[in-house]
Amino acid sequence: MAKKILLIEDEEIMINLLQRKLTVEGYEISVGRDGKEGLEKMKEVKPDLVLLDIIMPKMGGFEVMEEMQKDRELKKIPVIIISNSGQPVEIDKAQTLGAKDWLIKTEFDPQEVIDKIKKQIGK
Amino acid sequence: MPEEKLSLELEHQKVREDLESLERYIEEFSEFLPLPVCMVNPVDVIIGINRAFQDLTCYNEMEIVGKETSFLFLEKKGIKDLEEEIGSRQKRITREMTLLTKDGGKIPVNVSGQFRRDEEGNLIGYFFALFDVSALKKFQEELEKKVKEKTKELEGKTKELEASGRALLNILEDIRKSLKETEEEKNKTQAIITNFTDGLFLFDKENNLVLVNPQAEVFFKIKAGDLINKPILELSSISSLSSLAKLLGPEIKGIFRKELQAKESLVLEVSTIPVMGEGEKLGTLVILHDVTREKRIERMKTEFVSIAAHQLRTPLSAIKWTLRMLLDGDLGGITEEQKNFIEKTYGSNERMIALINDLLSVARIEEGRYLYKPTRADIELVVRFVVNSYKEESKKRGIKVEFKKPEKKLPLVLIDVEKMRLAVQNLFDNAIRYTHPDGKVTVSLKRVKKEIEVSIKDTGVGVPKNQQERIFTKFFRAANVMRMQTEGSGLGLFITKNIIEAHGGKIWFESEENKGSTFHFTLPVKEEFGEFLKTG
Repeated sequence: MAKKILLIEDEEIMINLLQRKLTVEGYEISVGRDGKEGLEKMKEVKPDLVLLDIIMPKMGGFEVMEEMQKDRELKKIPVIIISNSGQPVEIDKAQTLGAKDWLIKTEFDPQEVIDKIKKQIGK
Repeated sequence: MPEEKLSLELEHQKVREDLESLERYIEEFSEFLPLPVCMVNPVDVIIGINRAFQDLTCYNEMEIVGKETSFLFLEKKGIKDLEEEIGSRQKRITREMTLLTKDGGKIPVNVSGQFRRDEEGNLIGYFFALFDVSALKKFQEELEKKVKEKTKELEGKTKELEASGRALLNILEDIRKSLKETEEEKNKTQAIITNFTDGLFLFDKENNLVLVNPQAEVFFKIKAGDLINKPILELSSISSLSSLAKLLGPEIKGIFRKELQAKESLVLEVSTIPVMGEGEKLGTLVILHDVTREKRIERMKTEFVSIAAHQLRTPLSAIKWTLRMLLDGDLGGITEEQKNFIEKTYGSNERMIALINDLLSVARIEEGRYLYKPTRADIELVVRFVVNSYKEESKKRGIKVEFKKPEKKLPLVLIDVEKMRLAVQNLFDNAIRYTHPDGKVTVSLKRVKKEIEVSIKDTGVGVPKNQQERIFTKFFRAANVMRMQTEGSGLGLFITKNIIEAHGGKIWFESEENKGSTFHFTLPVKEEFGEFLKTG
């Protein structure tokens, strides 16, 4: 059975690109277009991994992680941050909230995302 | 009556004797009298003089008696006039005249005249008495002379006095003028102090507050009257002034443009200036310049750059990822020509991303939250990492790279590894980029006293002499490299300098156009340095 990845991201083109890339790689993708929708999808889909953007409307990535920390089940889901920014403070904060990895969009490309996902949950 | 006759005779004799005796008496008396006297008959002929008269005129009786009076006086008509006047006014009259003596002398005399009458009251002549007033005259003349002299002297003195009076008046006028000027100057100074847009505190040499201008009152919501003459120590107990008092210290130390968050919406730039007078310190002036607006603008500018850069990053990463997937064939096959174009576009996009990253770095440097969590690290490893990451690039460009290991193992330094790597990379990247093929880049590390010095030497284009001092300024690119390569943000060396200085180090370079440049930087080997722990 294909591993399920929840992509929480508000940028349409990034959604398109990642969805395509990840589907090709054999993952089952679901999408939340803001933090709130993402959390709902998380409870519904119970993904194996969450790809999470930080700056989003309604609810940002950090708040999503804070909510996940409150839930015994959701807490266990590994999170990889994909963000435009990558300040050391932000990375530290994400780590304390349980994020497994951090990707800066301008510094990485789609293939590297796949590599990091594989490192977390395998194929 | 012979007896009667005899008796008459005797009587006569007795009368005669009496008369003679009287005559003698008068004569003796007249001779004895020290006052020169003469008798004149009604037709102005001298009929008798006394001894004193002879003595005064030097004439004897024989030479004078029988002559008219006029020969005796300079004023020829004088006695005649006097006689007439005596006659008309019937009293004694005195007049001043000049006596001509036999020996040719001229003696000023007072002539007093009186007429003589017989029993019937007929005029029978005059008495004239002379009074020698030459001594008196001389005395008078001398007196007059003296008076004149004194007067003259006095006049001189008066003139002097007047002159000095005038001078005094002038001085007074000058004083008044300078007083006025001083007053005006004081008013001007007062006006300046009162209307100065900066806040001012003046402390005397015992650090007591002696002046507060209105602006300072506004800044701190204080009343000057409540604070004057209070020592600085007492001011620190007033809540609105406590932060300033703390910054100044009890001795009011020398401060130059130190920022002070006086209250939430007020940032002041504080400077102190010792007030000197004739080589002696009279007090300290504290100047408070309101920089709230500048700070706000600066923050807005930095925030703008920060936000703009973030906003730019989103589409840039979308472009990057799309191009990457196109190139990787994830979105279907493409022709070789298409691949070429896309690769170039990808490169341009990467440069754009690099520029945005530089701008973000500059914004963070200016926000003062650039360095992050320093750790003890081996600088040699950081430098080596950078050099290794350029292996391919330098080979491609035909540039020889030499890494000179330090002679002894270097001590660890406290650094923000990421930022230090960026600093070294900027220097190394410049060396590679601005050196022609067949050139050489040499990297070396050594310990110098309490510092570690890193040097990156190239045989490149160098920095033109006239542009060397601007090399570390933001957005500056030397003219010769602008011609060579259009890319480059002009931010690399600015960022590098800020990173090195934030670590308490120094950066400098030597360069000669068309020969090459050597950039050096040092890092201190010690526990703590500068204001390093400003974390972002």
